[in-house]
Amino acid sequence: MLKMKHLSKVYRTHLIETHALRDFSIHVREGEFVAVTGPSGSGKTTFLNIAGLLEEFSGGEFWVDGVDVRGMNDDQRSRLRNEKIGFIFQGFNLIPDLNLFDNVDVPLRYRGFSAADRKRRIEENLGRVGLASRMKHYPAELSGGQQQRVAIARALAGSPRLLLADEPTGNLDSLMARGVLELLEEINRQGTTIIMVTHDPELAARAHRNVHVIDGQVTDFDAEPQLRVPSGNATAAVA
Amino acid sequence: MEIRPILSALMRSKVALVLIGLQIALTLAIVCNSLFIISQRVQMMGRESGINEADTFTIGSLGFGAAFDIKTSIQEDVALLRSLPGVADATPTNTTPMSNGGWSTGINLTREQKTSTAPSAMYFVDEHGLNAFGAKLAEGRFFTADEITFRERSSVDWPPVIVITRALANKLFPDQSALGKQVYLDTEGNPNTIIGVVERMQVPWIGWSAEDGPDAEFYSTFVPQNVAFGNFGRYLVRTEPGRRDEVMKAAEAAMLKSNHSRIVREPRTIERIRAEGYQGHRAMTIILIGVIVSLLAVTALGIVGMASFWVTQRTKQIGTRRALGATRGSILRYFMTENFVITSLGLALGVLLTYGLNYWLMANYAAQRLPLVYLAGGIVVLMLLGQAAVFGPATRASRVPPAVATRSV
Repeated sequence: MLKMKHLSKVYRTHLIETHALRDFSIHVREGEFVAVTGPSGSGKTTFLNIAGLLEEFSGGEFWVDGVDVRGMNDDQRSRLRNEKIGFIFQGFNLIPDLNLFDNVDVPLRYRGFSAADRKRRIEENLGRVGLASRMKHYPAELSGGQQQRVAIARALAGSPRLLLADEPTGNLDSLMARGVLELLEEINRQGTTIIMVTHDPELAARAHRNVHVIDGQVTDFDAEPQLRVPSGNATAAVA
Repeated sequence: MEIRPILSALMRSKVALVLIGLQIALTLAIVCNSLFIISQRVQMMGRESGINEADTFTIGSLGFGAAFDIKTSIQEDVALLRSLPGVADATPTNTTPMSNGGWSTGINLTREQKTSTAPSAMYFVDEHGLNAFGAKLAEGRFFTADEITFRERSSVDWPPVIVITRALANKLFPDQSALGKQVYLDTEGNPNTIIGVVERMQVPWIGWSAEDGPDAEFYSTFVPQNVAFGNFGRYLVRTEPGRRDEVMKAAEAAMLKSNHSRIVREPRTIERIRAEGYQGHRAMTIILIGVIVSLLAVTALGIVGMASFWVTQRTKQIGTRRALGATRGSILRYFMTENFVITSLGLALGVLLTYGLNYWLMANYAAQRLPLVYLAGGIVVLMLLGQAAVFGPATRASRVPPAVATRSV
């Protein structure tokens, strides 16, 4: 589903070069639930940005769902992102001036689905996260946990192959965090590959496999995974 | 097109929407009405007076001392002027078109009328009047020398013959020739027979009798009399083409020399009289153009400011949209569409304000109804202005990188 080989990312200014990722290799198979852990500044978010095609990388090779993303222009990356990748952000990133229906509709409009198809997907996915009755509500009228559920519905509405979650429970209390995590596990059980960036060891323990990043390099990873074992055993390979 | 969600989001930022919408509406109302006023003024300033303006000038004489006789002075002066080299013709006259001073009366078709049929400016001239002004005779004849008399302060009767303009003839006798018809310059006096119709002769006052329509500014009557009131005489001189300035100086010198009991008033060309006559209209046109340009600039800057602020305020949101699959073009289109929606709402209100203002101007300042083409033009201009103004901020928005979505600040 996602494969990086010897990937590097260098931020350059006229004074210094910062190597955010170096010789970074990872292989996440379809159906896996992988937690990427590491301290602040280790390169987790850079990895997530590159994995989500939000940033370009400086060197190495990278495939998403078998598609080589090297040399893609901005529009091609946007379309691939829209089609194959769903995002869940730490701060939910809902658009405050749009109601829940229109928030979930945002990626679907860019995809070019028909109005009827969009409506069906929105209702189905808001129902999936338990918020079908609140479609006309605005984000400010919801709790943090509910807002993150809306963000999950938005991420799932386009039926992505890969879900990228950036500290999805970072802004939630423990009760709400547990609810969101259970929802992610259920989504994974239904077949969506999930890569979750977190610095929370308890959260990471719920994933099938952990990849630890320090100073832009993979320093530790779980053993060769077994494919999709509900109890949480690893299913990914780091190449 | 994302019009519905954009509209729905805008409805949650009502203050900004109302302020910029009102600005656009007011701009449309003022720009359309101002452009209409300007076009009317320009049209008015460009009208032909009906006389030869390029080769004509006026010169005056103000007598003093007990020996000064106005009748003698007029006869001598006009003879002197006609004798000067380069003079094509000259006539005594009380006024000229566009001079903003003269004599008017109401013309009646019957003696019993309480209200006159048409107002008219009066040009007191001799038999050279038509030729001196360079006006064109359309029908009948002009005055002969034996028809010319003096009009003194005590004169009550009006001459038996007059010449009127075609515009006045059409007003007095629509669909028939005015030639030979009788009218009354004074219902208590004798009738006056129309012996000639002049193609065109503008009245002295600009914007005169506006309620009678634009033709009223050409309701003129020639009267075969020399005005001999007090000590003042005015003459209109037409020169051979290209010799006006030279003759003007010679005329002033000759008149000064011919009679020492009077002052010669500064000669003025008809071109100068025109320029001075329309000075107010020209100033108003320039001011209105300034108002239009300023308003459009302020509106454009308002849109740029608002759009820039919204782009800055929504940077994270733009990044999120990009992360969710929006291309740069989608973001650009979003902001352009948003501006289109705002401008459309402002313009919808602006249409009402435009006609409201036009109605007020019609009711209070005898303005005419605003033609639809000005409104359509104003809408197109403001729509293009809005799109041009928002293009810069929208382009900046489209350059927001998608990675902004994952930044915590």
